[in-house]
Amino acid sequence: MSHREHIEETLDAIDRSDLNAFITVNYDGARQQAAEADTGELDGRLAGISVGIKDAISTKGLRTTCASQMLEHYVPPYDAFVIRRLHEEGAVLIGKTNMDEFSMGASTETSFFGPCKNPWDLNCVPGGSSGGSAASVAAQEADLALGSDTGGSIRCPASFCGVVGLKPTYGRVSRSGLVSYGNSMEQIGPIARTVKACAVLFEIIAGYDPADSTSLDTPVPRCASSLADDIAGLKIGVPIDFFGEGVDPAVENATRDAIDVLEDLGARATETSMSSLKYALSAYYVQAMSEASSNLARYCGIIYGHRVQRDHDWHRTFSENRASGFGKEVKRRVLLGTYALSAGYYDKYYLKALKARTLISADFQKAFKQYDALIAPTMPFVAFKIGEKIEDPLSLYKVDINTVPVNLANVPSLSVPCGRKGRLPIGMQIIGDKLKEALLFNIAWQFERNTEFNKYAK
Amino acid sequence: MITQTDVERIARLACIELDDEDLQEFTVQFNSILEYFEELEDIEAELIGQEEHNVLRADEVTPSLSQQEALSNAPRVDSGYFKGPRIL
Repeated sequence: MSHREHIEETLDAIDRSDLNAFITVNYDGARQQAAEADTGELDGRLAGISVGIKDAISTKGLRTTCASQMLEHYVPPYDAFVIRRLHEEGAVLIGKTNMDEFSMGASTETSFFGPCKNPWDLNCVPGGSSGGSAASVAAQEADLALGSDTGGSIRCPASFCGVVGLKPTYGRVSRSGLVSYGNSMEQIGPIARTVKACAVLFEIIAGYDPADSTSLDTPVPRCASSLADDIAGLKIGVPIDFFGEGVDPAVENATRDAIDVLEDLGARATETSMSSLKYALSAYYVQAMSEASSNLARYCGIIYGHRVQRDHDWHRTFSENRASGFGKEVKRRVLLGTYALSAGYYDKYYLKALKARTLISADFQKAFKQYDALIAPTMPFVAFKIGEKIEDPLSLYKVDINTVPVNLANVPSLSVPCGRKGRLPIGMQIIGDKLKEALLFNIAWQFERNTEFNKYAK
Repeated sequence: MITQTDVERIARLACIELDDEDLQEFTVQFNSILEYFEELEDIEAELIGQEEHNVLRADEVTPSLSQQEALSNAPRVDSGYFKGPRIL
């Protein structure tokens, strides 16, 4: 099959789909890139391969909305660093994927363009916020995808949709061109149907970028070549704090069975505990909301973005532009963040959240002195029904309980499918010390090849 | 306990106009969310600086967006400038 034929099939699959996984489909661009891959004009490790891009990542000349009315008509004048890397490898940008508005959510229900659905059950959410990226990869509407993960936004949808997704070490992948939400915690990362494909995409997007002042100037390891390394003797920690109240027994059993598989391969697993994790959810939300209130201050409708018809004085004009351009969850987080940073409350919320982050980071560092990797359920349960939690914000925040500690500690975590409850996939996360992505892919690959949970493996 | 007046004040600070329905709904929701956050009060740790670095780049002139590109997404433009609301 030619690249052009492959891309036509993929575009057909998107057109026929009920998932609403894409906000913008890049018909012309994708066809042209595929044709150029056929002639050899485009060359590289991703030549002719379709990649879905979360709509929070800037693509030059291709609308980038962040799933918000605020940016409904925004067309970036430049490419994000990761997009330039994809172009260098000949990738076909198939389209911009659906997400929670400004990445704020765990269900892809807050999108201005309507909710995205789970390919395994159309009544269920795909997870979020990178729901369209994971759903499109699971449903073969894209070969690969990029998401972003501030508090679980790659791992949650990867778990709910049964695909592989990595939250890299903070600073490993440039954030230049990523629309900021919680900038001290977020990373762009790869989503794929197999561990190997995920590792290849990670290698391509990782690396130093002077345009991101938090970018790490250290060499990127060749993850794809160490996948088959022996894991005998590897020390795995199983933190009981990730198996607390609210974790579905089916999820706990699948995760423990997965750990047994790794033990059969020679790894040694031991239970451990990280007591600071009880603060993780609050610490994450206080910090993410505070950062959001600052990061989203730029949307006033003057330089770009949604602007109401009539101008009043500047304060009223900005307030009306923001009131009509932002959805409810975005308003909630910006307002709560404004409150947490306001005089009299800074010490009570924001400073305490920073201190909690210090404790949590220290607990992870202590754990990695003893263990090579930690394993835990990615999500406490499988995908829930669309509409089930959206009316109660706190209940929706709580689904992030197992994913947010990783972002607070700046460490990498890879979510891989490890079982099913009925039709719905279960995911486990393999968490490593900073810059240990190659080891995470190695463990995940050994697990994947010795089990059949990944329907798409091979 | 946070009141509707508090939420109105925050909304003014954040430049987001809220209607009465949103004000009422947010006041209730904010109270339950902030109550949850109160668990952070127990923390008595020292604040240790983040080890992550910020770097300064060399002060060199490099290509940037053209005027046309910079203005390409502006809702209102006048004579090559962004057009904002009246200040006075």
